[in-house]
Amino acid sequence: METFEENMKKLGTIVAELEKGDIPLEKAVDLYGEGVKLSAVCKKQLDEAKIKITEDNGNE
Amino acid sequence: MPVVTVSQVNRYIGSKLKGDRILQGIMVKGEISNFVKHFKSGHCYFSLKDSESSIKAVMFASAASRLKFMPEDGMSVVVSGSISVYERDGAYQLYANDIIPEGAGKASAALEQLKKKLEKEGIFAPGHKRPLPYMPKKIGAVTSLSGAAVRDIINVLTRRYPLCELYAVNALVQGEGAPESICRGILKAEAAGCDVIIVGRGGGSAEDLGAFNTEQVARGIYGCKVPVISAVGHEVDLTIADLAADMRAPTPSAAAELAAPDISVIRENIDSYEKRAERAALLTFSRASDRFTALDSRLSAQSPESRLSLVEQKLSGLETRMGLAFERYTEKRSSELCEKIAKLESLSPLKVMARGYSLIYSGEALVRSSEDIEKGSEVTLRFDNGGAKAEITEKW
Repeated sequence: METFEENMKKLGTIVAELEKGDIPLEKAVDLYGEGVKLSAVCKKQLDEAKIKITEDNGNE
Repeated sequence: MPVVTVSQVNRYIGSKLKGDRILQGIMVKGEISNFVKHFKSGHCYFSLKDSESSIKAVMFASAASRLKFMPEDGMSVVVSGSISVYERDGAYQLYANDIIPEGAGKASAALEQLKKKLEKEGIFAPGHKRPLPYMPKKIGAVTSLSGAAVRDIINVLTRRYPLCELYAVNALVQGEGAPESICRGILKAEAAGCDVIIVGRGGGSAEDLGAFNTEQVARGIYGCKVPVISAVGHEVDLTIADLAADMRAPTPSAAAELAAPDISVIRENIDSYEKRAERAALLTFSRASDRFTALDSRLSAQSPESRLSLVEQKLSGLETRMGLAFERYTEKRSSELCEKIAKLESLSPLKVMARGYSLIYSGEALVRSSEDIEKGSEVTLRFDNGGAKAEITEKW
């Protein structure tokens, strides 16, 4: 599973590609579907995110 | 010898002292005693002494309010000001403009020197400041893990950006060994793969911040391969660490806010991506659909059915026009006929004959004149309702 950052980046690329406007309809449909899926994944990742804390005490 | 008053003597001595350049701009080193701050006026009164003697001193409220510390008895200080006479008591005293704690002067001069040196080397250069990553994966925190700073950082990141990983390295932030500990902590956070590192502590007095004013820590921050945010909770003066860092935050909480974006902003970003994707997809679709509609209508215009129907339409148009034209023609003709019939009827000889006229025929020919007949000729009379034969008996 990709990280949130990667998914966000991909989502941004898809939107930019869609906004070019000169792409075939089939590709637009595919990209849009992929974008919707990715945005749902991103939201889920945000909802489930929990900060991971590592404490390094060996440095006195 | 003229006799003068006490006031005149004191005023004279006062003017003598005021005219002395050395006494009007002087720095006096000594120890503070009997320090009193007048609660109402805010003026400060004290004595400055050394092992052998003392001098009365006063600092007016306006100057006292500029002091960054509170003078106390026993403090070794350098007082700058002027010496004048207090005429009422006939006593000379030191009018203080500023009080500098002894030692602090030397330390601050050394600090300024260090700042200049590092600045010359480019340690503080704006060009070296690196941008912070927008969405850091791993944030380093080099501070005391028993202090409030790390708690604040954890709180802010948990609320704002739980997507990240926090790598918190314990470091001594004050006392001996603190600069080494801080530098080691930075290296550890860097080695652990942090993409931004917060270095700091939560507040403290000027002496407590000593470690963040060392050349070692400045170089540690400068040499770090990833951006460093300084968070030395101390607003008044910038520490050398602040100057060397890529970004300066007033507190550890503020540093955490600078280090990571707010998750609610990211949610908004996702929403706006969704809207943009939808709009773009719909636009592509409607463009394709427009293209199709245009082509399809051109195509169907060329189909045999449509051509046939076009011909049919033309035909039926012609038919309608023809029907109308024929109708108009017959109407016109029939009304003409009616007129003629009426005229004809009015001219009919039968009608005339009905009124009492009759026709005379000689054989088959109508007799129009008396010259057409002779005496004794036999003629035929035609009446409206019959006929008769007659013989002409006389003619004239």
